[in-house]
Amino acid sequence: MKNIRQILLVSIILLFSSCITEFIPKTTEDQELLVVEGLITDKPEANTIKLSRSFHLGGFNVPKPLTGCDIRISDDLGQSFSFSETTPGTYTSDPAKFQGIIGRFYTLHVSTNVTNNNLNYESIPMELKPVPPIDSVYYEKVSIVESSNVSAGQEGCQVYLDTHDQTNQCKFFRWEYTETWEFRLPYLVPNSICWLSSNSNVINIKNTSVFEEDRINRYPLNFISNLTDRLRVKYSILVNQYSLNEDEYLYWEKLQNISEQVGGLYDVIPSAIPSNVYCLDDPNQKVLGYFSVSANSSRRIFIKDQFAGVITPYTDAACISDTVFGGGPILYLNTSVWVIINHPSPPPVYSVITRNKLCYDCTVRGTNIKPDFWEGGK
Amino acid sequence: MKLKINILIIILSLSVNLAAQEQYKLSSNYKDISFVDFVTRVENILPVKFFYMDEWVKDLKLGDYPDCTTIQCVMDNLLKGTSLYYYIDDFGNIVITNNYSVKISNRAVEKNNKFMPPSDFSSSSENQRMTGNVSVEIGNPAEKNKPGNVIISGYITNKDTKEPVPGVTVFIQKLSLGAISNEYGYYTLTLPRGIHEVQFSFIGMRNKIININLYGTGELNVDMKSVLIPLRETIISAQKSFTLQRFEVGAEKINITSFKLLPTSMGESDIIKSVLLLPGVQSVGEGSAGFNVRGGSADQNLILLYGAPIYNSSHFFGFFSAVNSDIIKDVTLYKGGIPSKYGGRISSVLDIGSKEGNRKEFAGNAGISPITTHISLEGPIIKDTLTYILTARTTYSNWILGLIKNPALHNSRASFYDLNGKLTYDLNKNNKIDFSAYTSHDAFRFNSDSTYRYNNNIFALKWRHFFNSRFFSSLSINSSSYNYDISSQNIPIEAFVLSHNVNSTGLKADINWFLGRNEINFGLDLTKYTITPGTYLPNNDSSLVIPRTIEKERAWEGALYIEDKFFLTDFLSFNVGMRMSSYFSLGPKAVMIYNPEFSKSKSTITDTLNFKAGAVISKYAGPEFRVSINFRISDKNSFKINYNRTRQYLHLLSNSTSIAPTDTWKLSDYYLKPQIGDQVALGFYEMLFKNNFEASAELYYKIIRNMVDFKGGTNLIMDENIEKDIVNVRGKAYGLELVLKKTEGKIRYSIGYTYSRTFIKSLGTFSDEIINSGKWFPANFDKPNDLIVTFSYLLSRRFSFSSNYSWSTGRPITYPIATYNVANKLVVTYSDRNAYRIPDYSRLDLSFRVNGNLRSHRIAHPYWTFSVYNVLGRQNVYSIFFKNEGENVDGFKLAVFGRPIPSVTFSFDF
Repeated sequence: MKNIRQILLVSIILLFSSCITEFIPKTTEDQELLVVEGLITDKPEANTIKLSRSFHLGGFNVPKPLTGCDIRISDDLGQSFSFSETTPGTYTSDPAKFQGIIGRFYTLHVSTNVTNNNLNYESIPMELKPVPPIDSVYYEKVSIVESSNVSAGQEGCQVYLDTHDQTNQCKFFRWEYTETWEFRLPYLVPNSICWLSSNSNVINIKNTSVFEEDRINRYPLNFISNLTDRLRVKYSILVNQYSLNEDEYLYWEKLQNISEQVGGLYDVIPSAIPSNVYCLDDPNQKVLGYFSVSANSSRRIFIKDQFAGVITPYTDAACISDTVFGGGPILYLNTSVWVIINHPSPPPVYSVITRNKLCYDCTVRGTNIKPDFWEGGK
Repeated sequence: MKLKINILIIILSLSVNLAAQEQYKLSSNYKDISFVDFVTRVENILPVKFFYMDEWVKDLKLGDYPDCTTIQCVMDNLLKGTSLYYYIDDFGNIVITNNYSVKISNRAVEKNNKFMPPSDFSSSSENQRMTGNVSVEIGNPAEKNKPGNVIISGYITNKDTKEPVPGVTVFIQKLSLGAISNEYGYYTLTLPRGIHEVQFSFIGMRNKIININLYGTGELNVDMKSVLIPLRETIISAQKSFTLQRFEVGAEKINITSFKLLPTSMGESDIIKSVLLLPGVQSVGEGSAGFNVRGGSADQNLILLYGAPIYNSSHFFGFFSAVNSDIIKDVTLYKGGIPSKYGGRISSVLDIGSKEGNRKEFAGNAGISPITTHISLEGPIIKDTLTYILTARTTYSNWILGLIKNPALHNSRASFYDLNGKLTYDLNKNNKIDFSAYTSHDAFRFNSDSTYRYNNNIFALKWRHFFNSRFFSSLSINSSSYNYDISSQNIPIEAFVLSHNVNSTGLKADINWFLGRNEINFGLDLTKYTITPGTYLPNNDSSLVIPRTIEKERAWEGALYIEDKFFLTDFLSFNVGMRMSSYFSLGPKAVMIYNPEFSKSKSTITDTLNFKAGAVISKYAGPEFRVSINFRISDKNSFKINYNRTRQYLHLLSNSTSIAPTDTWKLSDYYLKPQIGDQVALGFYEMLFKNNFEASAELYYKIIRNMVDFKGGTNLIMDENIEKDIVNVRGKAYGLELVLKKTEGKIRYSIGYTYSRTFIKSLGTFSDEIINSGKWFPANFDKPNDLIVTFSYLLSRRFSFSSNYSWSTGRPITYPIATYNVANKLVVTYSDRNAYRIPDYSRLDLSFRVNGNLRSHRIAHPYWTFSVYNVLGRQNVYSIFFKNEGENVDGFKLAVFGRPIPSVTFSFDF
């Protein structure tokens, strides 16, 4: 009902003198709930299960890992595989011992330690469904016309995905992607070429059971605005496609329904979304998150193209050089922010030219180690 | 020429001069000829006209009256010993009356030396009463000294349009006795013999007082003249004495003339908004669709137009009512004490009375406001027999959107229209047929994206038959449907059209029988429902969408009812009714059977039951008792008790705070049980300060079983097995409604305060069926404190001012309380359902009305209404919403009317 909301909002703002202002509700709740974030795939890689506590609304999102838990998964053949805690709150499987197999059902078992009340949790058994390969990932230039903060003649990039399953087995899809892009500093400095990565943070799901053919065309996966420097030099996107059970699909759909915008009169009344993990000892213990079991296929593409109006954070205004004078050695310069790039007049005058470190060293934002998948030279 | 009158009307406003009356001389002898021939001959030779009913005189023959030389003498002899009387006015009209005589009171002549002239306009209410210049004798004078009470009854009609006037208060001040005319304009009163002053009053009509000399049982038919400019009525008011007399606790009648003068938000008089000013009626937000009566959900209101239910009562998401106010004659809202003839919804009945066309002449009305324009036309096709009325209303918002440069808005569309029509045909004095039709349409499109369309359609045919003056029947057939569709062409291979349709056909037979001190109402109410829950079809040739149709739902609802209103004594009266309702859900249908050990879901289906066409899937039946007791403590106050049970088989599935036009209707079936409501209410009513003030207190307690709620985050559209997402909840509500009204004079006001609570409790056993750990929690529309003040000041006949103020507690809301990460996405989790509240609501509106021309013989009668909505400019919170943008969850509040909204409406009658 997203459209209903839009129409309503636009109509009433148009017709009446509506106004929207920021509003921070005062809540009194002080709950820290168990969050399970797990993904088992058919790839010969280590699988991870993350356990943490939820954050308070409006507080700092400082991770609160749940350490010292005993985690294992079991399958419908009675086999059991244990996970070990590699970093606090992150539990990893041994890829030599465990790899998901299509058609098997997997169950997660979690036992907390004494400090966390010795509670036992279990997931419902989840089937590992097959997934087809991604047919193609491609992009199209999109002209941005007359938006409030952009003048005409601007271009963004829309990334699409096509896939199909001839066997008609995978009806519910989910995608995650990782974007990586090269960026360059416009100055002759030692570290001027770097790479930066970012993981998707939007829910991308699709249900093909309503279609005659198990085929997805032009799924709009990601829109890259020209208000970032992603498209300036070279860009790459790695798309991971996951098969879902219907129950898991419904979980993501609910998450999508209520987490984007809630509270309006025509919005679905929100509620905590039930997890597939539940507490065996105390049914009142709420659990958040999901234990996902999916087959995985992936595809990477590169985009090196001209897009009009792509911005850069390294403008002259942002990267201004400054001359600092001092009677003695300049000790008060914060070297994590400022870099001395020249000493035009040597001591005892002590004048230096400084520049914001962001514009001097690209490793402030990214890494200067070329990713191994990166095509072409520097 | 021979003139006949169908229903005899006492012409009270005629100016009569006894002294000028001539003696009409007769020259020949009319011995042995029939009265009808006599009339024909006499009208040819003398300037007289006779008025009578054929059936009274069909056996009447003239005798030999040798001494008679005048009409008067002949008539005196002729009518001697019959129940007929006559009088001759100074225009030569000879009016024959049955059972009572009309006598011109000499007292008034002596006092004023002449009769009060008929005046169309009088500024003060005192002058507007035609005080006793005519008195009427009813019954046979020979019965004068018999003991016991006698009954008078009759029809009340509108003098101009000849329409029956329901809801008129017939009141005898001295005895504090009264009655209300029913939907046929018929009233009945039980009185002691003797001289009485009977007052007839109705909002928008001139008061009429008739002195009667009551000898025995008889008829008194009355016509009332409408007040041309309805300036005198500005506030919603159940009329005084009406309040005391009625049985129901919580029945409110709103007259069109009252609510048309209320301040408007967008220059539109709006029936639902007027209803919201009544105590005990609330909505979840300003301009939201639907309303909530005494803790009931929005689908528990039976909104009737032409006797048929309207499934979607609003345009434009609730900013406008779906019914044009031009067609509305009056509106009755039953919050409790629902009469037995109504059924099918738990919480209330909103019966919209519609206008009939003018019987005498062509008339119309047109108006323009900032968002809509409307026109209505009415008149006779055959004078006094066949009339029509047509109304239309539309918006020009599409045109406004087209003017906007922003491409998203330029390509958006938002419009609605509605049409009403009614034909009324008086076959003869005992039979009347009317045919009514209504259609409404809304369409929305946001930036060339999905298009939303929705429609209401109603057709109704009603036949009213009067067996005799104490026995009426009405038979009606109606059909009502609502459908919406959502279509999209954006991605060709996914182009779809999704639609939902609900259709009902109803047959109603209703009989009213006045028997002594009893008024008995009984009948049959039969409805057939068909719902197409959803169809999802490809919208073009390249679309890969698989056509999908969810199996139709079919059901019959039948009810037999009987109700008796009777006066046990003068101070104690009862209204006892029973409605036996039954319901059959019919195949063909495939019903899923779930493993009872688990919460219902796709994966717990164990079996399918296939029902053949016409097979009964499930049946529900039960009696609904409706009982009211009215105890009149004195002539100034009364005490009422009421209990009623209601059953509901049709449910609107909505999991948002407000109902939306895209919510789907669902019939009770194998899993979904009928909702059952029980309400007990007490009311105390008192007239204060010479009856100028009216105070009332009503207390209610209500329990609703089998209400519908949903598992978290469920998508309700195109769900084949909706039962797996439904959670059975129970509701309870209680409240106290206090009202003080001043209903007379130039300054009038009313103050209403309501304290009410509404709670819900989930009854499920599985974790996903339990809301708030199974505890009672406040419903979406639980607003404990609610204050409404209306005020009006009639400056003069041309200018009037009115205002209303409302304040209420903010509605409950579910807030986000914690966040967590899933797939790099920051996700929000929520508090218990409705654990918090939005800020309080407060609003003041003003309205000023100017009438352009007060002359009676005008071509067009224009009037302007200037109003300001939300004068205080308070940014009342319409909704609070949360956006999850990457790293943060941001809260926003939206105020729809964030500052004063002025509007001007221009209308004219012609």
